[in-house]
Parts: sequence; structure tokens; C-alpha cells
Amino acid sequence: MDASLLTITPGAAEPIYRQIVEQLRRMIAGGQLPPGELLPSVREVAGFHAINPMTVSRAYSLLEGEGLLERLRGTGMAVAQRARRARSEAERMSLLEPRLHDLARAARELELPAGRVLRRLGELLEDGE
Amino acid sequence: MNAMLKPQIDNAPLQARGISKRYDGRPVLDAVDFTLPEGAVLGLIGRNGAGKSTLIRALMGLIEVDAGSATVLGEPALAMGDRVKEQLGYVPQQPDALGWLRIDEMFALLSGFYPRWDQAFVDSQLERARLPRDRALAKLSPGERQQVALIRALAVRPRLLVLDEPAAALDPVARRELLREIALRAGESGTSVLFSTHIVSDLERVASHVAFLHEGRLLLQAPLDDLKERCARLWLPGTASPPRIAGEISRRPQQAFGGWSLVVQQRDGRWPVEAQQPGARLEALGLEDLFVEIAE
Repeated sequence: MDASLLTITPGAAEPIYRQIVEQLRRMIAGGQLPPGELLPSVREVAGFHAINPMTVSRAYSLLEGEGLLERLRGTGMAVAQRARRARSEAERMSLLEPRLHDLARAARELELPAGRVLRRLGELLEDGE
Repeated sequence: MNAMLKPQIDNAPLQARGISKRYDGRPVLDAVDFTLPEGAVLGLIGRNGAGKSTLIRALMGLIEVDAGSATVLGEPALAMGDRVKEQLGYVPQQPDALGWLRIDEMFALLSGFYPRWDQAFVDSQLERARLPRDRALAKLSPGERQQVALIRALAVRPRLLVLDEPAAALDPVARRELLREIALRAGESGTSVLFSTHIVSDLERVASHVAFLHEGRLLLQAPLDDLKERCARLWLPGTASPPRIAGEISRRPQQAFGGWSLVVQQRDGRWPVEAQQPGARLEALGLEDLFVEIAE
């Protein structure tokens, strides 16, 4: 994987380490980053995006803690071998969380009753089946 | 303010306690407590005239203050020894020292003073920035002058790097280069960095910590990620000024909205209960918005 695949928006309300975590989670879940894929070094990511290396380390460590990345001796960080299969419902749900927050905010801004929004969401979910 | 905003760290590379300074009777700094944690990249942000340069000059022991004290790498700012000076890289807002010297003469002179001087770095940076070695410093453009001063400060391989508006005179390419250099120095050599700026996006890339200076007072000092995660804008409807909220940092009326916007912070991981009121709304806040909310 190349450092340029990450998109960093310094001005966003979301901290940069979380931007990296979310993007890597999605790429791993979507199979864009297969198990064993080597990640760019902390220095490469920090240098390419002119961001603080500690921010990149923090993101990598979080994902390592979740079992999505594993540290290889001498060669850096790679997508964990078991990253794709053992994804619990809770993990998959957490990927959806930011979008749910956006949706909830938009619904509140439009002053829509929760029941109505939930009914419609239910319909959409069932349509897909 | 809570503990998150007032870090108390011993042996911090840069520390100030209760610094006050007046110019012509006008307070420029008002009892400022400041700490740069070891290994941090701290962005000092504030509007023009907020007192950023005065604070930095006080921290560097370049001006006498009316009250309070500062320490640099463990020594009093006003009485730094050679051991400290050798480990300090400082770039003032308008570097103008040694103007009659040529670039190469200036570097040759300085290299003798610093045991850790990195001449290879100087050579590669002069090359990269296409700076003419045989030109007198006084004849350089402000941007070139600033680049030379930055190269000089980094060539020392400092343990502490202090930059006053380092990006002000630089073009976007040079600015990005500078940020990259600051970030990598901090990450790899453990250099602690303080830089002042009014350009929020520069700060957001590389800073691990941020401090807001406003009208001579330090309003906030916190890790940048914490600030983004724990501060938000709370919109409250109603014309009357809302009662004070626990964790409130600032407030202002918002006519178009028909109410008030407040900057609030989480306490014990929770947002203020006022966010549950009918018509109230919490909004995530980027640093630029946070800065505007606090500084207006």
C-alpha cells in the first residue's frame, strides 16, 4: 500500500489519527487491503502528508490493538492474516456509526420525528434483501 | 478549566508561570501559565496582536517581564548557560541578525559554536531551496531570509525548537517542506517544538498540542486530538442569554439562528445536559471554527 492512498483533511473536526483509522478499517473490511499487505512506514505517511509521525503511530497502534494490523519483525506493519474473517457484528456496526451520526444530525436539523425516520430506514433496509 | 487544559509537567523543556507584561500601561500578557511537554509539537495560535511574539520573547529570555518566570531546558530564561543555548534553535519573526554576512560566511561562523552542527543538512537545504550561498543576508527577500534562519535553527540539531510565525513569509511549497521537517524532527529526534501561527491549517497538520492566546490570556492548552474530540459547538435557541453551562469555554449570540452558540467541552466523557433541550444541537468543531468562536 502507498501512503498517497490515505486522504488527510487537517481542517476536519475529526482528528487525523481517526481519519487514518477509519480509512484503513474500511479498506481492510472492503478487501482493498488484503491480509498480509504491507503498510507504508510511519515515516512515509508522515513525510508524504507533512503530518506528525506520532499521529500515524497512534492510528497504527489502535488498529494493531484491534487485531486488524500486525507488526512484522523488521519489515513494519501489515494487515493481519485473520483481519477479514473474524469481524463481529459489533465491529461491523462500529463502521456504520459515523454515518448514523450524520443521519441523526440531519434528521434533527429537519425536525423530523424519530419514528418516521426509523420507519423509512426500516423500509430501505428491507428493500435491499 | 479542568485538568485536561492545564497540563502540569515537571522537567518540561519550556515552562512559564504567571508571566505578565505591559507595554505603555497596556497589558500584553496577563498571568500566563504555559508548558511545552517533552517531545510535543505545540502550536501557539492567536490573532494578530494577541501577544504571541511577546510570550515567545519572554520564554526565550529576550525581554524582562513585569511578573512571573520562565525556564528553558531547566534553566531560567534570563540566565541561560551555554549548555542550554547549544540545544536551542530559535527563529524570530523577522530574523535580521548578521545581515552584512554572506550566507556561507554566516553558516561557517555559526558552525564553530555548536558541537552538534549538521553541515550536510545545511548543504542539502541550501541546494533544495536554491539559495545563493554568496549573497549577503541583508540582500535576501523576506522569504529567503526566513528559510536561511530556519536552516540555521535546524542545523543545530536542537532539543528545543522555537519558531515565531515560521511560515509567514514562505510560499506554499516552502511551507509544506517546513512542516514536514518539523514533524519528522519531532517524531524521529524527539525534538520539542513550539511554533506560533495564525494559519490554523499549518498547525493542524503537525501539532500534537495547541494553545490559544487571546488578548494576552491563555484560554486553552490541550492535546489537539483531545480538543477536537472533547469540544463542540452547542446551539441553543432563545433570545435571552442562557445560564452558565458547566464546561463552557465561550458564547456568542447568533441572530440568524435565533439563539446562542457556545463552545462546550465534555466532562467525564459526557456532553452538557443542556444539549438535550428542545431545539438544541451539538456540532463537531474543527480547529478553525473553534478559534473563531473563542476569538470573536
